[in-house]
Amino acid sequence: MGVFSVILAIVAVLAIAVLVVAFIFYSKGDARFKMDIGGSAPRAAGGNDTSGEERSHGRLKGLGIFGGGVIVALLARLWDMQVLHSDDYTSQAESNRTRTISVAAPRGRILDRNGVEIVSNRPSETVVASSDVASNDIELQLLGNLIGMPVVAVKRNIEDTTEGAQSARKVASDVSRRVVAFIGEHPNMFDGVDVEQRTSRYYPMGNLAAHVVGYTGTVTNEQLDASNNSDDEGAIEYESGDIVGQSGVEYQYENVLQGVRGEQDVYVDANGNVLDYSTYVAPTSGSDVVLTIDAALQKAAEESLANVIKLVQKNATSTCNAGSVVCLDVTNGEVLAMASAPTFSPNIFVGGISNDDWTSLSSEENGYPLLNRVISGQYPSASTIKPIVAFAALDNGICTADTIFDCTGWWTGLGSGAGQWCWKHSGHGNIDLQNGITYSCDVVFYEIGKGFYLSSEPENLQAKFKEWGLGSKKDIDLPSEGAGRVPTPEWKWEYYSNYSDDDRTWKGGDWTNLCIGQGDLLVTPLQMACAYMGIANGGTIWRPHVLKCIKSAAGTGSVVDYVPSQELTVSEDSSYMELVHQGLQGVIYKEAEWQTKHWDTMSETIAGKSGTAEVANKQPTGWFVAYAPADDPKYVVASAIEDATWGSNSAMYVVRDVMGAIFGEPDTVAKSCAPISSSSDT
Amino acid sequence: MSTRTRLSGPGTMAAGGHNATDRFKDALSGLVMPRPDGRAHHDSTPRLQSHGFASMFYLPELIPNLVLVAYGAVIIWSASLSIEEASFPRQLMGIALGLIVAAFVWHYDYRRLAGKAKVLMIIDVVLMLLPSVPGLGYSAKGMTGWIKIPLIGATLQPSEFAKPVTILLMASLASEYNGLIDSFRDYVKLCAALCVPFVLILTQPDLGTGLIVLVMGASIIICGGAKKRWVLATLGLIVVGAAFVVATSMTDGFPHILKQYQLNRLIVFVDPSVDPTGDGYNLTQAKIAVGSGGLLGKGIGNASQAGGGFLPEAHTDFVFALLAEEFGFVGALFLLLLFGLMVFSSIGLAMRTDSCFGRLVIVGVVSMWLFQLLENVGMCIGIMPITGIPLPFVSFGSSSMLTQLASMGLIQSVWHHRTKAG
Repeated sequence: MGVFSVILAIVAVLAIAVLVVAFIFYSKGDARFKMDIGGSAPRAAGGNDTSGEERSHGRLKGLGIFGGGVIVALLARLWDMQVLHSDDYTSQAESNRTRTISVAAPRGRILDRNGVEIVSNRPSETVVASSDVASNDIELQLLGNLIGMPVVAVKRNIEDTTEGAQSARKVASDVSRRVVAFIGEHPNMFDGVDVEQRTSRYYPMGNLAAHVVGYTGTVTNEQLDASNNSDDEGAIEYESGDIVGQSGVEYQYENVLQGVRGEQDVYVDANGNVLDYSTYVAPTSGSDVVLTIDAALQKAAEESLANVIKLVQKNATSTCNAGSVVCLDVTNGEVLAMASAPTFSPNIFVGGISNDDWTSLSSEENGYPLLNRVISGQYPSASTIKPIVAFAALDNGICTADTIFDCTGWWTGLGSGAGQWCWKHSGHGNIDLQNGITYSCDVVFYEIGKGFYLSSEPENLQAKFKEWGLGSKKDIDLPSEGAGRVPTPEWKWEYYSNYSDDDRTWKGGDWTNLCIGQGDLLVTPLQMACAYMGIANGGTIWRPHVLKCIKSAAGTGSVVDYVPSQELTVSEDSSYMELVHQGLQGVIYKEAEWQTKHWDTMSETIAGKSGTAEVANKQPTGWFVAYAPADDPKYVVASAIEDATWGSNSAMYVVRDVMGAIFGEPDTVAKSCAPISSSSDT
Repeated sequence: MSTRTRLSGPGTMAAGGHNATDRFKDALSGLVMPRPDGRAHHDSTPRLQSHGFASMFYLPELIPNLVLVAYGAVIIWSASLSIEEASFPRQLMGIALGLIVAAFVWHYDYRRLAGKAKVLMIIDVVLMLLPSVPGLGYSAKGMTGWIKIPLIGATLQPSEFAKPVTILLMASLASEYNGLIDSFRDYVKLCAALCVPFVLILTQPDLGTGLIVLVMGASIIICGGAKKRWVLATLGLIVVGAAFVVATSMTDGFPHILKQYQLNRLIVFVDPSVDPTGDGYNLTQAKIAVGSGGLLGKGIGNASQAGGGFLPEAHTDFVFALLAEEFGFVGALFLLLLFGLMVFSSIGLAMRTDSCFGRLVIVGVVSMWLFQLLENVGMCIGIMPITGIPLPFVSFGSSSMLTQLASMGLIQSVWHHRTKAG
């Protein structure tokens, strides 16, 4: 579009005008000229006295031709537009005057395994206003006073077009009955204002399973772009302002929970005012999702977690505020309970979360409440790793079931300059591998570490860890899962690249640390629960999952049932497996009398292991993992409490409470708890 | 009425004298014949006597014209259904006033104005300058082309009234040469005279009306007998001048004679998609309105483009788009048919009018109608650039209606005051 095309167009138009005029002149000719051709006898002097009139007549005819040309040209163009190409223009006119308003569809509910509503929808009385109310200052003021909102906020909400220019604008949701009644009684005062029943997310069980179900929020720009650019035919197309899942099941099963928007076609004028309504397609609500979670067990787990954290705060570490517990069904990988502390209220995300709330939920000071520590919390496993190390040692011939180790409390196997304490400074004396697990004797595992250090294939240890599913995601159907870390010599060299070569080098101490689950090893509670699921099953590890089924929109049947799948199958010699089983039962029934007291009140036999992971600048992370019944395992429970004390003084109580809730045999023994320093020989 | 008899008058009998003064006298000799009443002074044909009414009005022009006025009133009524500003009673009042004015013009012997070039020129200039009088002028749509009458408060567009005055002025000047403008000096004088109203109107600035004045004046000069090569040369000059004006207006560093909105109109005329929501919007919406009308139209009151407010100025500048949307191709055809009848019957009358002044008055009126039709309809269908020119007898607005009905009155006056000899 340059200067030239415009000039060209003007020149063309005017050139045509010149041609028309020239044509008129030449075709109509000159009266005098015509006479010559006609050969008429020359007139007398003054014989051209009529020439003025003849010239004039010629030009009048020219004017007539020009007029005819104008009319014909206009008609030709009109014929082209109105008869030949009318359809094109008609469709343009249609799209001009029709608009589509979307009608939000309710999200599907989230239920526990027994059909108890964890997340549902509730009607929300919402005050809406048409766009022209924004220009009525008196009405804005009245509305603001009635609802109790600043006038500018009312105006801003009405001017917000995210739900579509023709949609009624949301002024305030969840208004009181008084407001609804007042607006209903004074239609003249509130012209263009209406009360609509909309739905919003509702949490009948409060914060229950908040980390599992997650929260919803307004669709983000990234999600909008992703949905608009998606090639997937079945993908949901989001509109600005849509409510979508942002974490947990709400996020994971977004495409199931999200309904299909309805559409209302309307006729509008040029100002966007709705003149009339056309076709309507009703919205389809999202499907209900049934979880494997048992609401009652979940509640017990959350309460126990909170209580134990309080106990630790009171008796051991005042800064303790975070922990988690997970309970799986070892026969199929179903997650029966999954609790993380501190928790949050998904309800505060409904209708948009305030900046202050968001800041508070994202702060380290508050312990990152949004973090689901079962899948995202990564800690050294501590002694809970010992059964797997035992498998590695037996498989690689580092030791046998009959090997006797001598624990004096202070181990100098790597030289007297590199001595290491057993947790029990007084020593365990002569001890075999099974008892090494039962009593968690560190010296036994230092020796195994040294064995790998000296072996020709030392990294078979890490390989065994990975075989049991550590260092990789469990692919649970929840977002933000952590993979953990199984450190290797190469990893250490890379990871500490800013350190001196000596510090980067993997040494004997790294082997012994790894064998007692300290140092650079990181696992999630879910990973440990799954590893113990494998131990309980004799090698089979099911993929953990929270989805049980998706209910059909109509009726009571399910559309999709989750089919359990085996994530891993580890094969270990059955005698080794038996040794570990016995060792783990010993933890419950032999390791310490005070510990056994808590478990003796249960009729089922239990197997488990505690752990106390050292963390820099903090009190240790207390671990406990257990499965039951020991002879025919059905449940595995894993718990980790951050910044706590001994695992047996913290996480064990949570595991015991969850087991108690499962079997209906609560822990009746008073829970004692002490800081590490004063209980070094416990 | 369809007499093919040449109405001859003394003008054709003029012989001998070739200087301008003689010609002028000759021309006037037929015009100043005493006519005490409107009836035939000389022997009239029996046919005319038996049709007294027919002899008073030139029905081939009058009938289609009145039908057109009625058609236009229907259009404005339908526009008034959805457009607040389109007041149907006001339009009817304009028509009524216009018909009264037309009756006066018809009754008035237009020939008395033939020698009053100076007076006409003064009236013309005064009309053009009225909007610039402080306290009287009234600005709208970026130009001061209106005046607000004190006390009454009605706004008028004097440049509209200037159009028939300019027709009379140019016809009066050009008829002095009795159909043969063979002196270059005379030609330049006529062109210079035309430039006075043209330039004045551009200062308002009202390019649209200016172009009408230019086309009317040029038509009168051409039909007045100007030599063709002068005319062609003048047109060539105008083309070059226009291209120059556009080029400098679009180039930084040169004086911008055209306003930005005028340039934009030219740009969107060449390519409306350049700015589909701004300047190209009107054009696009007008074309959608016309095209979606189809063969038979959407029916009166059912125009979604005009009624929904998508088509701006649907009752004034873009009234044709409204008409074409409601009545389709058939309705547009009917409109053009009426204009065609008016134009051709008027040219036919001009052919039979001996008085050069009368002929040129008709030429001025016809060329005004033709150009306004071309421009107004043409811009709605994308073959002319957008300018604010009303569609004669249809567009909403009393100034235009008064002017056009007065012009109709001029045609009727030429018939009424024809020489009815033999």
